[in-house]
Amino acid sequence: MVLPDAGDSLDAATFEQILEMDDDDDRDFSRSIVFDFFQQAEGTFNKMDECLAKKDLAQLSALGHFLKGSSATLGLTKVKDSCEKIQHFGANKDETGTNDLDDDVCLKRLKTTINQAKQEFSDIEKVLKKFYEEA
Amino acid sequence: MTSIVPSPGLPTTATPECPPACSVDEILSRTPIATLVVDDSLCICQVSDSYLALCACSREQALGFDLYHFIDKNVPAVMPRADSVRKAIHTATTARKAYVLDDILVEDGSFWSIRAVPIFKSETLLYIVLEFENTTEEHMRQAELEERVSTNDTFRILVETVKDYAIFMLNPKGNIATWNTGAQLLKGYTEEDIVGRHFSNFYGLEDRLADKPGKELVVALRDGRVEDEGWRYRKDGSRFWANVIITPVYRGETLIGFSKVTRDLTERRAAESRLLSAYEESAKLKSEFLANMSHEIRTPMHGMLSALTLLIDTGLDTEQLELAHIIEESGGVLLQVINDILDYSKLSSGCFSISSDVISVPDIITSVARSYQATLPPGTRLEVELDSRLPSSADGDPLRYRQIVQNLLSNAVKFTESGCVSVHAKLLKEEEDSYTILTEVTDSGIGVPLSAVGSLFAPFMQCDNSATKRYQGTGLGLSICKSLAELMGGQIGFRPNPDSKGSVFWFSAKFKKLKRLEQLDELEAKLQSTVVTPPPLPSVSFKRVASKKRLLLAEDNHINQKVMLRMLKGLGFEHIDTALDGVQAVALAKKEPPNYDLILMDVNMPHLDGVGATIEIRDAGLQVPIIAMTANALKGQAESYLAKGMDDYISKPVDRQLLLKTLLKWIQCTISS
Repeated sequence: MVLPDAGDSLDAATFEQILEMDDDDDRDFSRSIVFDFFQQAEGTFNKMDECLAKKDLAQLSALGHFLKGSSATLGLTKVKDSCEKIQHFGANKDETGTNDLDDDVCLKRLKTTINQAKQEFSDIEKVLKKFYEEA
Repeated sequence: MTSIVPSPGLPTTATPECPPACSVDEILSRTPIATLVVDDSLCICQVSDSYLALCACSREQALGFDLYHFIDKNVPAVMPRADSVRKAIHTATTARKAYVLDDILVEDGSFWSIRAVPIFKSETLLYIVLEFENTTEEHMRQAELEERVSTNDTFRILVETVKDYAIFMLNPKGNIATWNTGAQLLKGYTEEDIVGRHFSNFYGLEDRLADKPGKELVVALRDGRVEDEGWRYRKDGSRFWANVIITPVYRGETLIGFSKVTRDLTERRAAESRLLSAYEESAKLKSEFLANMSHEIRTPMHGMLSALTLLIDTGLDTEQLELAHIIEESGGVLLQVINDILDYSKLSSGCFSISSDVISVPDIITSVARSYQATLPPGTRLEVELDSRLPSSADGDPLRYRQIVQNLLSNAVKFTESGCVSVHAKLLKEEEDSYTILTEVTDSGIGVPLSAVGSLFAPFMQCDNSATKRYQGTGLGLSICKSLAELMGGQIGFRPNPDSKGSVFWFSAKFKKLKRLEQLDELEAKLQSTVVTPPPLPSVSFKRVASKKRLLLAEDNHINQKVMLRMLKGLGFEHIDTALDGVQAVALAKKEPPNYDLILMDVNMPHLDGVGATIEIRDAGLQVPIIAMTANALKGQAESYLAKGMDDYISKPVDRQLLLKTLLKWIQCTISS
């Protein structure tokens, strides 16, 4: 386990796969990917806030899916799970994606989940930054 | 009972006060027993009418004459002659009591007896009464009886001395009544041990609990005989494989018991099984040898074909390219032959098993048909007709089902120069836990001559065995299909195309239904599967192949794009184009000349998603393999990607080993085709 601090926020196997793509002597590649992701995540959260204000559910679902893809690639399990929920709520579904929900319920849940995702992101961000500072 | 009817000629009760006159002469002359009475000088003094009738003489010819003189002169040779009479008289008078001389054989083969009764008055012989009787019938009966007794003895001796068979009698209850040497030798019991005990002593515990002995007697009574083979036990507890015949024995209508004959077949059985296992062993060795050889040949073949692919990419001139293509084509055929032999030998050695996986018949047929679309000769069209009731997923072996469809379709295309080839799948039967699916491939090709129909599915048979064969192949394809169909619980068959010339090949296969939950699990497992054991790193040869291949990667998230590019480069790919959405992907794919050997397509993309892009690419007539990449956890969608024209899918986050495996599948595919 490379990052014991990350706990269940991080899927070790997936993240290690990214680390293996690094050249032998540095962590340049993975560092660029991880820091790119920080930017992407912050940008996406900002867009989410805007859409939440406009009550644009469909766009929220798309954003959830978008960030789910990259967080999954890095193995950021908790962020990925929350993004998937955002994707579902935005599509008027419950968190498992099976039952229909109305707009109000979804907006309320989206708000909570987006805040949760932000928190999870900032937690893992700290761990990862520390990892790359030491590296 | 005969009632006594008084004779009308004889006075009986008419004058009871006056008893009828009793004349000795009258008695003697009328007695039905042929009788002669002689005096002490052997002069005939009385003769019965019955005697006279026998020798056809008159009373006058007899009375007063010397006995022997009379006999010699008048009595025919079919009656006892003087010598017999003399002997009877001599014995009777010497012993001074009645004497019967039996079994006198006369000229015509009949037997007589003479009873000589000497009548004495104190010491003086007065008369001798001689009675003659024809005893032929009695003699015969006696002889027969004696013969029968001696036959019985013969059989008894035979039975007692037979050593190889246990032959003995049971009483009606099944208790042992007799015992022979064979029984003693075979079963180890002596006569004293066993007589009186029940024959179920020879059976094993299981047979006794099932009352097999009792049932055998019942069957023997019903059918008149019962024959059985099974284990029987000796006195010492050892067992032998026995053949047993039990027959009920009746005297008249009464059952007196059963005869039982037991043979020891242990040796024969052992010899049979030795023979059988020797045969199986040799068949298995042959199949294993074939399998090993095919496998050993396949590996260098793959090497050669991979190297050839690289060679073709080095910019050969037209003539070289043509030759290289001939090598490639022949190599492809050879590989197919080897694969057929490998499958066949696996099937015939019984080490071939059908795996259990999620199978979608419509998807497979669509995908196989698509792969043949490109190779159709001009003037031939390919049609697919799918029953709407076909299940979208079931539990079966997708590879093996695909193999049959592929084989039948490839035959159909091979033998059809113009007209139509069609694939038709329908749901034949739906049961509580299974589907039976019928798949038919119809063509308007050359058809099958009537004489060849019988051997179509036999191994190594081909309709055209002439030296100038027009069509290539091992003749194993259909026999492999037959075995595969049977392994899938189905059948395979042929009939002539009813609408035109050509053939209809059909096969049925049975697939288990997926339970709803299982269905989701399976799909999820497929989507989320990560490889547990580390698969081999891409070989040098794969890297060399990869370096010549051109890929298109369509992915909207630049982080994922970056990771994928890095991963693909690590696998040896050098020519990779990227697209950020479906529209770009379609535009790149449609460029002339066709640019890509494989497309990796994200499913969710802005403007045009991966599925839409795939449809447009396919509509443009491009057959390039398209692999979907999806992080979509929405259940059941992966299947639909395949139906929309994608060839495979890989789940996100993309696992490097899984990606390699998938790419190998499709890159290899393009090498050998």
